[in-house]
Amino acid sequence: MDLGLVIYALNLASIYALMAIGISILWSSVGMINMAHGATFAVSGYGAWIITGVMKPIIIASFGKTALATFIMASTLVGSALITGAICGALIYVLAFLPIHDKPNYPIRGLIITLAINIASVQSLLYIFGPRSRGLPKIFGFGRWEIWGTKIRFDQAGTIIGAIIILSLTLGWLKYSRRGLEVRAMMQNAEGAAYSGISRKVTALPVLMLTGALAGMSAALLSQTIFVSPTSGSVPLIMGLTIALLGGLGSVPGAVIGAILIGFLEAFIGSIPFLGQRYVMFSTFAFIIAVLIIRPRGIGGLLDDTRE
Amino acid sequence: MSTKNKFFSVGRRHWEWRIKPSEKGQWARLRMPFSKRHLLQWRGVHNPKNLNRERVLIDKKPLWWTIGLLLLALITPFLSNSLISVVSIFCMYAAINVLWTLIVGTAGIFSLATLAVVGISGYGAAAANVYLGVPWPFMLIIGPMVGFVFGAILAAPSTRLDGLYYALLTMGIAEICRVFVSQLRGLTQTGGAITQVDSFIPEDWFLQRPGLLLGFAGAFLILLGALLVWRLVNSERLGLLLRVAKTSREDEAFAEAVGIDFRRARLFVFVLSSAALGVIGAFYAMYYKSISPSVFSLDQVMLLFAMMVIGGLGRAEGAVVGAAIVVLIDKGLIELGPLRIILVAVIMLIVTMVTHEGLTGAREQFRAFRKRKSGERRARRTIKGGEVMPEEATEIHDKQEIYYRRFNKRLRDHLKTLITPDLIKEHQEAPQGKHSDQLSRVLNFFRRGEMPDKYVIMRLKEGEDDYRVMAVSGVKGTPPRVVDDKIYTNLNEAYHAVFLLRVNDLLES
Repeated sequence: MDLGLVIYALNLASIYALMAIGISILWSSVGMINMAHGATFAVSGYGAWIITGVMKPIIIASFGKTALATFIMASTLVGSALITGAICGALIYVLAFLPIHDKPNYPIRGLIITLAINIASVQSLLYIFGPRSRGLPKIFGFGRWEIWGTKIRFDQAGTIIGAIIILSLTLGWLKYSRRGLEVRAMMQNAEGAAYSGISRKVTALPVLMLTGALAGMSAALLSQTIFVSPTSGSVPLIMGLTIALLGGLGSVPGAVIGAILIGFLEAFIGSIPFLGQRYVMFSTFAFIIAVLIIRPRGIGGLLDDTRE
Repeated sequence: MSTKNKFFSVGRRHWEWRIKPSEKGQWARLRMPFSKRHLLQWRGVHNPKNLNRERVLIDKKPLWWTIGLLLLALITPFLSNSLISVVSIFCMYAAINVLWTLIVGTAGIFSLATLAVVGISGYGAAAANVYLGVPWPFMLIIGPMVGFVFGAILAAPSTRLDGLYYALLTMGIAEICRVFVSQLRGLTQTGGAITQVDSFIPEDWFLQRPGLLLGFAGAFLILLGALLVWRLVNSERLGLLLRVAKTSREDEAFAEAVGIDFRRARLFVFVLSSAALGVIGAFYAMYYKSISPSVFSLDQVMLLFAMMVIGGLGRAEGAVVGAAIVVLIDKGLIELGPLRIILVAVIMLIVTMVTHEGLTGAREQFRAFRKRKSGERRARRTIKGGEVMPEEATEIHDKQEIYYRRFNKRLRDHLKTLITPDLIKEHQEAPQGKHSDQLSRVLNFFRRGEMPDKYVIMRLKEGEDDYRVMAVSGVKGTPPRVVDDKIYTNLNEAYHAVFLLRVNDLLES
């Protein structure tokens, strides 16, 4: 296996990890399966596209083509994607969490409402912007480095580094802040957290906004490699869900390990000549099913009985 | 004194349609042939007023089912060609949904691979017809066989994985099926579709009116068959066993403790519905004379799921009603374009946000809501007025008490209207002596007050003008309690203070 393949695998893994961790945290703390995560992904891609489209002439006019302009462009793109994602998260909080969080059948109804949000927003994007895909400005440039004889494209390196930075920020927030402590308590045992005075209603909003921002971040990073389109959220959603399952419910290290495993598996299967790109999804799902049958709670997940 | 009489409805039973049985046919019931099972659930009751025998239909659902299906079968032949095909598609989707409901609701296995089962068995049957030359009637046997085998494979991990893990696994399996079929070497020219499948609709009738009517007849029979499977599973022993272990983990433990092997029962229902779905798969391939990988697509699964959710998850009538709504929007309003999917999603959103169990559960939810509200109102009336509520009245033996309390309530209501600042001022100026008509009515009411908590004035020291307001306990041997610390130096002032306290109590009652 050469270095290029490793870089490609890590590139995939970082995007998947961002999606899977968002789904996993939300699932285990708020108890909601967010099927609208893919919609958040697509909507924040479009949000970033609109805002960078508006800002691009202004930035070029005021800064020219300097390194500073590129930096401001990059921060505009990432910032707008993050903010759009967070707004989507807040919207999901208002529609899918607040009205039903204390009503009967909450988990299944939450799943259904987020699914409906997903369908509605993807179709609205199709209706408003059409099926044509849009390219976002390349914030990392088009060049490539040569390390030990292999070429690493800037966008791949940028994606990996950006994902690592965002993930460490998220994990740091979870570990060191007061709100993060509350979220972790809810992830471990929701009932116990409620007894200790942690309000699910209050904590759910930052969690949903955080996971939305993570989806927005992955949209911004993936937009460096592929184009943004209304249906671009469905594959990251399915992969994120399955990797969250593979890693185990509520386990952040499990999700990271799962993402890396799947990233390498996809890169490896894609490089085998007689299997090729067509069987990537097939083999990924087969692998995940095999793991889940052997270990039903996923790689790092707790048993449901333990959580209760 | 003019208070309007207001009557409140008594009891919690809603009105029911009752019929009078004939003298001879007192115990006659319609029964299923060759069994003792009743067709309709009649209950014989007595009318408490005239003691006549009457009959009440406990479960009216069979009637609604019959009326709805009859109307569907009678109206469809007079519709236009495009609407006939919409109705046929509705029948097919409703049948798939009913069987899916059997898996999700009765068996409690959250599977998303229902359409994958339909697709795989459709492909199996179509392949047997096109490549092996099997005549079309045998497709209806090959389909369920393939469905049975595939269902058995799918069911194997369902006991090991719970809930959503299994749902995602089945979603993965559907995706694998789609990729597998569209990658098959032999089908690459057609994009993974098998075309030119032989059918029960003759070649020259296809897409003509007689062909469409024949297709509708077949789809309607398929729907009836699915409903029959639903009914048989739920009304027999198997459904009973599954209902024991339905709702929670404690129920499962209970079922296990009393010796019910609910896992086996679930697997059995799953495999049975998969075989039935296989019939629908073969029918699907015959109806369109082709089958393509779009059967496996996630959008299609989502659309079917939306149908079940809008109607009500886990109910047969919900599956059919939801299918009617969604198919009407999706296929009937084609000119709306992508807006119709948004419409479906918005309906799904609103229905899920408002109702607990879909549209078909809305009636029960509304009844529960109304009952709760009327209970709240009753409680509020009792607290506020002190009048006897109808439910309470049956418990009180001394009916005089009830009338006294009603009279008292009305009197107080009337006296409240008399109390004005002028009246209070009049009393302040002259607590004793000749009063106006209104004031003397109010004071008369106060004089007749009950002994417990009646206000009295106490002179603090003999011969001095220092007074305090007390309230007597009404119990012999228990001293009166002090109402407030204020000391009045004038007897009239004390009289007026007592008056104000009583007015306050009256207005608060």
